[in-house]
Amino acid sequence: MLEIINCQIEAKTWRITLPDIDVQKGELLVITGPSGIGKSTLLHWLLGNIPQHVAIKGQIILSGINITHLAIEQRRVGLLMQDVYLFPHLNVQDNICFALPKNPQLSSKKPPRSSKKQRRAAAMNMLEQINLEHLATRYPQNLSGGERSRVGLIRALANQPQVMLLDEPFAALDPSTREQMGAWAFQQLAEQNIPSVMVSHDVEDIPASAKQICLADYYQASEQK
Amino acid sequence: MAATIRRVAPLARIRQIALSSGWLLVFLISLLPILGIVVGLWPPEHITFADIEAFLGYQGLSASVFMTLFSAIFSTLISLYIAFMVYSQYHLSRRLQSFEKYLAPLLSLPHLAIALGLVFLFSDGSVFFIDSGLPRKGLSTLIIAIVIKEVPFFLLIFSAIGRQLPIKYWLLQGQALGYQDYRCWWFLVFPALLKQSRLALLAATAYTLSAVDVSLLVGPNIPELFAVSVYRWQTSFAAGDQALAFWANALLLILLAVSVLILYGHEKLAHAGCKALATTGSRFQIGKINPVFKAWLPMLGLLTTMMVLVFALWSLGFNWHSDSFAVTQLTTRLWQDEWLFFALPLQNSWLIGVFSGLLGVASALLALELQRQKGKYWPDYYWLLAIILPQLSMVLGWQIMHIWSQGGYHSGWIVLSHLPFTFAYAYLVLKGPFQSVEPRYELLAASFGYSPWQSWWQVRFRLLLPAIFTAFAIAFSVSIAQYIPTLMLGAGRVPTITTEAVAIGSGSQQDLIALYVLLQSILPFMAFFVAALLARRFRGSMGGQDARDY
Repeated sequence: MLEIINCQIEAKTWRITLPDIDVQKGELLVITGPSGIGKSTLLHWLLGNIPQHVAIKGQIILSGINITHLAIEQRRVGLLMQDVYLFPHLNVQDNICFALPKNPQLSSKKPPRSSKKQRRAAAMNMLEQINLEHLATRYPQNLSGGERSRVGLIRALANQPQVMLLDEPFAALDPSTREQMGAWAFQQLAEQNIPSVMVSHDVEDIPASAKQICLADYYQASEQK
Repeated sequence: MAATIRRVAPLARIRQIALSSGWLLVFLISLLPILGIVVGLWPPEHITFADIEAFLGYQGLSASVFMTLFSAIFSTLISLYIAFMVYSQYHLSRRLQSFEKYLAPLLSLPHLAIALGLVFLFSDGSVFFIDSGLPRKGLSTLIIAIVIKEVPFFLLIFSAIGRQLPIKYWLLQGQALGYQDYRCWWFLVFPALLKQSRLALLAATAYTLSAVDVSLLVGPNIPELFAVSVYRWQTSFAAGDQALAFWANALLLILLAVSVLILYGHEKLAHAGCKALATTGSRFQIGKINPVFKAWLPMLGLLTTMMVLVFALWSLGFNWHSDSFAVTQLTTRLWQDEWLFFALPLQNSWLIGVFSGLLGVASALLALELQRQKGKYWPDYYWLLAIILPQLSMVLGWQIMHIWSQGGYHSGWIVLSHLPFTFAYAYLVLKGPFQSVEPRYELLAASFGYSPWQSWWQVRFRLLLPAIFTAFAIAFSVSIAQYIPTLMLGAGRVPTITTEAVAIGSGSQQDLIALYVLLQSILPFMAFFVAALLARRFRGSMGGQDARDY
C-alpha cells in the first residue's frame, strides 16, 4: 500500500496542499489537473527524482516503510512514461533482463544468484504470457508504438515494483490502440496487485474503478509580498 | 541508526575524494597548454628590447609572416565554404544523409600524407607526366593540401552542430515563404552554423599558423613559412637565435590574436551579407555550381585512394618510365631492407597512439561527466586550448619544463605531450553525443535499482560506445600525426613514423618517402576502420536523434 502524508507543493506564486492519500494494492489513483500545475512533478517526487523548480514536502510510506529520503534505486518504484524509453542498445528480451531484480525468485528452489540463462528464460516467459515472444530479438527502433508500450509495461513489471507510476503513458498512441492498451495495462497491474498512480489530462484514459484526485481543487495562489 | 551513519560517512568521503581527484586530473590536463605558453614565452634573462630590432629587421620576415597568415586564414575560410556547400548538398538529399560514414577514411589521412600525395600525383615528374603547374614546394601546394584535409573536418563539425539545430524546419519555413532550397541554406542555416563553428575555424587556423612538418616539406622556400623559421630559431644555438625565437613566439601569439580578429570580422561581415541578401529578397545564383559539391566527397575519396596507390606502387619499386606495366616488376625489396629501420618507429607510433588516445578519451569522458554532475558545462574554449593555441610556443614551454624535471627521454613523456591534443579532439567529438544522451534512460535504470555508477556503465557508456570508438580513432590519428611534440620532448630519441617521414621527406629518395608516408597513413586508417566495425557491432545512440523516436 502507498500512503502520501502531509504533502505540499510550493512554487513562487502558488501552493498546493494535498489531503492524505492512500492507494491500496491493485488500486489505481489518477492525478488530473490543467497542464503546468505540477502533476508530473508530484509523480517524479514519488519516484525520488527531486524537482528543481518547486519545493515538495511530505512523507511517502510504501508498505509501511518511509521511503521519502531514499535514493531512486532503493525505492522499488516502477515508472512508465509517454515515451517508453526502451534502451536502444538492447533488444526487447535484454531490455526486460535489465529490469529483472538482482535476485528474482525465478523458481521455487531459490538459487543464490540467478544466472544469465535463467534471467533470459524469465524474460522470455514474460513475453510469452502476453504473446509477444516473436519480438524478443528485435531492437526498439523496429517496434510499433503499441508494441513499445506493451514491452515497456512488461519491463516495468519485470522489476517487481512495489508501486507503479504512469506519466500519461498512452498519450502517444492512436485512439484505438490507446483504449486497448489502457484496458490491458490496468488489468495487468490489478492482477499483480500493484498500487498505481497515473497522471493524465485525458478523461477517456481513466477507468471507472479508479480513484481520482484533481490538483486544481487544492490550488492556492500565494499572497504577494 | 548510528551504525548506518558511520557506514555512510566514509563512503561519502571516498566519493568526495574521488570527485576532487577527478577534477584535479582534468584541470592538470587542460592547464598544460596555458602552462606551456607561459613557460615558453617567459623572457630569458638576456632578452632585451634591442633584440626586437634585430628580429624585425630579419630578411624576408614580413613576406614570411604575411604568407603564413594568408595561408592560414585563406585555407580555413575556403575549407569552410566548400564544406558548407558539400554539407548542404548532402543534407538536402535523403539518400546521402548518412555521409558521415564516408568521412572517417578521409579524415584519417594525415596532413603530411595529403601534401606529399599531391606532390607525388601532380608536381613535375609526377605520375601523369603532364605539367599541372603545381610546384613541389609552394604556397599553392600547401593551401590545397590543407583545404583537402580541413573540408572533412568541417563536415564532421557541421554534422555534429546540425544534429542539434532544427535545420529541417528552418528550410521548410523558408520554402513555405517562397525561397528556394539553396537560398534558405545561405540565409537561414549558414549564419547559425558559422557562429557555432567559431572554435573549429580557430583550431584550423591555429594549426596552419604553427604547422612545421607540412610547411617544411611542401611550403615555399624563400622566404620559408614563419613556423619553420620559429622552429629553426628555437632549436638553434647560434648567438642571437634564442632572442629571435623568443620574439618570434611572441609574434606567433599576436598572429593568433590577429586571426581571431579576422575570423570575427569575417563572421560579422558574413552575417551582415546574409541579412542584407535575405531582407532585400536578392537573387544570387550560387545554386548552379552545386553539382561540383555533390561530387566533392567521391572525388576526394578517389584522390586519396590514388595517393595511397601511388605511395604503394613507389614503395614496391614500380618503374614509372617503363612502357609496359607488369605486376611482376613489383618487388618488396625496399620493404624488406627498410623493415629493420621502420620496425621500431612503427611500434613507437602505435604504442604512443594507443596510450595517448585511450587516456585522451578517458579524460574527456571524465571532464564531461564531472561537469554533468555539477550541472554546468565550462566554455569549450577552455577545454580546447591545446588546439587553439600555437603549438610551437606551447611545446617549447613543455620542453623547458621537461628539461628542468630531468625526466630523461622515453615514450612516457611523448604520451604525456600528446595527451592535451588527444584530449581536446576527443572532447570535441564526444561533447555533443554526451550531452544528448537522454537523461531519462538513467532515471529508468535507477528506478530498476541500479546505482548511479552501474547505470553510468550499463546505460550512458554503452549508448556512447559508437561515439567513443570514433573519438578514439580521431585521437589516435591525432597522436600518430604529431611531429613537434614528439621531436622536442623526445629530443629525437623516440623515433616515430611521423618524425622519420619528415626526416626522409626532406631528402630526395622518392620510393623511401612513399614507404614512410604510406605507413603513416595506414595506422590511422586502420584505427578508423576498426572503429567503424566496432561501432556497427555495438548499437548505441550517437546523437540522441534516433533515440528520441522511441
